[in-house]
Amino acid sequence: MEPFERDELTDAELDAALADWRAPAAPASLRAAVFGAHTPWWLRIWGASIRVPLPVAVALAILAAIAVWRWPHPRTNDMAHPSATMDAHELRPVSVLRPRIIRSGDDQR
Amino acid sequence: MTPQEAFDRHHRAVFDFAYRLTGRADVAEDVTQECFLAFVRAPERFDAARGSVRTYLFAIAWNLALKRYRDHGSEEPLPEELAAREARSGIDVATAIAELPPLQRESLVLFQYEGCTLEEIATVAGVDVGTVKARLHRARERLRRRLAPYRKVGNANGTV
Repeated sequence: MEPFERDELTDAELDAALADWRAPAAPASLRAAVFGAHTPWWLRIWGASIRVPLPVAVALAILAAIAVWRWPHPRTNDMAHPSATMDAHELRPVSVLRPRIIRSGDDQR
Repeated sequence: MTPQEAFDRHHRAVFDFAYRLTGRADVAEDVTQECFLAFVRAPERFDAARGSVRTYLFAIAWNLALKRYRDHGSEEPLPEELAAREARSGIDVATAIAELPPLQRESLVLFQYEGCTLEEIATVAGVDVGTVKARLHRARERLRRRLAPYRKVGNANGTV
C-alpha cells in the first residue's frame, strides 16, 4: 500500500482496509483458565495467598514477639496455702525447744 | 446453554472482540477469562428475554475492557512482537481504530468484525439503535479520512 492523493476512502475501500487487521487466535489455555479455576472455595483456600507489605509484616512480627514475652506465664512454684482449719490430731510435741526472740523489724528480713 | 457450551461456541468471538478493543492479546486473554468466569459463577444473571448469550458475553467483555481502560487509561502501545508479525496496513488500521473514542470503537468493532446487527449492538451498549447508527457513522467518517493515505490501488498484480 502506498500513500495516495485522495483525502477520503469510499465505503468499499474502507471495508477493504479494515479487513487488513487480523486478530490473533484465542489461546488454547483459556479453557483450563476458566473451568480449572472454578473449584470449590474450600479447595481454593489451600492455594490461597495474600500479599503483605514488608513494614506491616515486620510490625506484626514485633507485636507477636512482645505479646509472647509479656504473656503471663503460669507460676510453677506456688507456695502451698496453709490450711484454714486444723485438727488436734495433727499436732505433734516439739522434741527440742529453741525459743527465739523476735523484735520489731526482724520480720522485714 | 451450559457455560461449557457457551465457551465452546463464543470464546473466539469474545477474545477477538476484546483484542480489537484493547489492542493487546494478553489483555484480551484476561478479559475473556474474566468474562467467562463471571458467566460460570452466576449463569442465572443471563436473561434470555434481553438478548442472546453472545450479546450478553459481549456486554460483559465490554464492561471489563472499559473498566480496564478507566483504571489504566489508554492501553500501552502494541507490543513489538505483534507489530513485527502484522502487516503494515493492519498496524495502521489497528492504530486508527485505537484512536477512536471508546463508544465508537465498540460499535465499529461489533459491526465490522463480529458481524453484529444494529439491534445486537444496541443491546450490548445499552442504547437505542439510533445512537448506534450515529456512533457507527462517526467512526467510519473518521476512519475514511484517517486511512485515506493507505488506499489500496488495484493493478495487474493485485493490490499494491
